[in-house]
Amino acid sequence: MSIARRRAIVPWLWVAPWLLGFVLFMLIPSMMSLYYSFTDYSLLEPPVGIGLANFAELWRDPLFWKVIRNTLAYASVSVLVGTVLALLVAVLLESHVKGRGAGGVARAIIFLPTLVPLVAAALAWAFMYNPEAGLFNRVLGVMGLPRINWLGDARWAMPSLIIMGFWNIGTAMVVYSAALRDVPRSLYEAADLDGVSRLGRLWHVSIPAISPAILFNVMISIIWSLQVFGAPQIMTEGGPDHSTYVYQLYIYESAFRYGRMGYASAMAWIQLLATLGIAGLTLALSRRLVYYRGAV
Amino acid sequence: MTLAIVQSGVSRRAALGVMGVGALAWSAWPRRSRELAGVPRGRKVLHYWEKWTGAEGLALQGVIDAFNQSQEKLWVIRVPISDISSKAMVAVGGGDGPDVCGLFSYSVPLYAEAGAAMPLDSFPQEDWCGEAGYLPNVWKLLTHEGRPWAGVNTCYTLGLYVNRTHMREAGLGGTDADVPPRTIGELDAAAEKLTRTDSSGAIARAGFLPNLPLWWPYSWGVLFDGRLYDRATNTAMADDPGNIRAMEWIATFPKRFGREAAGAFAQTFSRSTHSPQDPFISGRASMIVQGPWLANFIRLHNPSLDYAVAPVPLADGLAEPSLPRGLVEADVIIIPSGCKDPEASWEFVRFMQRRTTQEQLALAHCKSSPMAEVSAEFAGAHPSRYVGVFDAIARSPRSDSLPPTRVWPQYADMLGGAFDTVWRGGDPASALRDVQVRAQRLIDQATELRGRRRAGNGKGDA
Repeated sequence: MSIARRRAIVPWLWVAPWLLGFVLFMLIPSMMSLYYSFTDYSLLEPPVGIGLANFAELWRDPLFWKVIRNTLAYASVSVLVGTVLALLVAVLLESHVKGRGAGGVARAIIFLPTLVPLVAAALAWAFMYNPEAGLFNRVLGVMGLPRINWLGDARWAMPSLIIMGFWNIGTAMVVYSAALRDVPRSLYEAADLDGVSRLGRLWHVSIPAISPAILFNVMISIIWSLQVFGAPQIMTEGGPDHSTYVYQLYIYESAFRYGRMGYASAMAWIQLLATLGIAGLTLALSRRLVYYRGAV
Repeated sequence: MTLAIVQSGVSRRAALGVMGVGALAWSAWPRRSRELAGVPRGRKVLHYWEKWTGAEGLALQGVIDAFNQSQEKLWVIRVPISDISSKAMVAVGGGDGPDVCGLFSYSVPLYAEAGAAMPLDSFPQEDWCGEAGYLPNVWKLLTHEGRPWAGVNTCYTLGLYVNRTHMREAGLGGTDADVPPRTIGELDAAAEKLTRTDSSGAIARAGFLPNLPLWWPYSWGVLFDGRLYDRATNTAMADDPGNIRAMEWIATFPKRFGREAAGAFAQTFSRSTHSPQDPFISGRASMIVQGPWLANFIRLHNPSLDYAVAPVPLADGLAEPSLPRGLVEADVIIIPSGCKDPEASWEFVRFMQRRTTQEQLALAHCKSSPMAEVSAEFAGAHPSRYVGVFDAIARSPRSDSLPPTRVWPQYADMLGGAFDTVWRGGDPASALRDVQVRAQRLIDQATELRGRRRAGNGKGDA
């Protein structure tokens, strides 16, 4: 074999294991799912082609619109508040917690919850939300405030899940911390010379300088929050009154509880396209807001 | 290591080669898996998926051990599976199902229509009781369109558990606290008297709440003479007048006891059912609707609890003590299509359908027997003195079984949604009419697609 030919083949050999996995476990199942979305398929019997009937039924299905509303509410609040919260914690840690030791310990404490398995965390939070014995209502009781039925009241169930989601801001906080440390000191010195306040430094220097990291975290958060599944499934099973019934939960139940794989596939493809659209829109909007160092 | 190999004069290629050959030899060396370690030589192994774990799983293991010792050809290995309906669907659909699978009775129509289970009348019928051996309400659950597709693996109905101490304290039942409420009117009156609230308005002790636990939101209609499904016309009956009356009754609870207070009380105990903190076992609920197995958990966690069990009360005018009414459900056992040795699977299923086997299992699970005839020893040895209550409901011609339609899981969830809507103040009739429209659409769609499959339009590739 000639050297040129070998050079052409070797890279493919190196990526072959990934490529094989991608084709077998991602590409082929995705294409099959696209096909199933135009069929009625229960897993137990052969699929029957029904054209666009699944999509037409989704259009008429009130639960479909409900899960879209719930998922968008969850995603928008959790992305927005989660980003602000993580950024705030990172800024506070970087500016107020001096010394590698104390800062490291604080960061480790905030990061630690992300290492707890979701099921364990969800069960612990469900207990903390218990109307009678839970931590939150105990605290409210001490403060003389009325108890809240956190997970059992349709008005409170979704906010409760969103609050629980902030348990995981550690990952974003670490990214922001790293980005903040990378902001050139000269920019802060220039701001100081101009007499910029602390808030002004944050708004006019830090945030623009770390905007690529913010964009990265926002994109990841959007994608993850649109796929939220574990916490609602474990803590509320979508209730009460479908107030926490989210998109992924409906896909799962359609496929594996109701035996409607075609319907679930149609939902999955709509979600993929919607997620791509939202991600594309976010990228487009970010062009005017994100500053890349060195870019003209 | 590398240095040592080089120094000893063995090339790296040779060392890798030796290691490769060693690995191949190790992987190809014949040996038995850990799972098969206890299997006697010469036995054919059957894998049996079942949902039960803990004490219920151990009871089942006792039955399996008896089968394994009863003959020398087969050996059944129990595989406990959580969320068994979903996993069995994936495994059987993918052609890699178990040899025998335990499911819930609501799965029978789907498996039957899809041909994913083997009809039991396609096997040799000797040593199997057939229809005559089962309670009629149980037989309905095992069959679909006239053919048996599953064996039974215990059955259950629901009963009203009453805390006799609370009843006495509240002056209910006169001098005989063994007489629990028989009608909905009596139940409501008792619930009012038994409920205790604290200074903040929170419920400290619930007399009776229908959302505690919210496991069978579809079961209330039958108490008001409601029906869920018409077998003859393949029609959903969600908005049957009896079901609407039941939902109107449900709607009175948040009004009487406070929507938030009643909701918070139920939520408090949502994760403690069957534990020592179970609302009934811990004395926080005076009356509760539950299955026969609750007696087992009472024995385990609070054996001194003074309680009684009665049929769930019926609407005024419907109660007839000799003919109670309820919904019968069952755990079933199927032989998946495509299993490696259907005859061997059938031999095990047939063993499981023996009266003695079902009685052994029912005793351990604290349930009534699903079989038409019951031995004298069964009643005598039963750990629950109220097993007769559940047995009477299961036998009653006025009882019904779950709708035999493949869309039942979705239909049941819709009824659960209607319960939630009504609890939050929605109109019962319109909530059930909405369910009726959606459920009937699903039934019609499933019927039409089945017709197309039967006509040969859907052979694998649409």
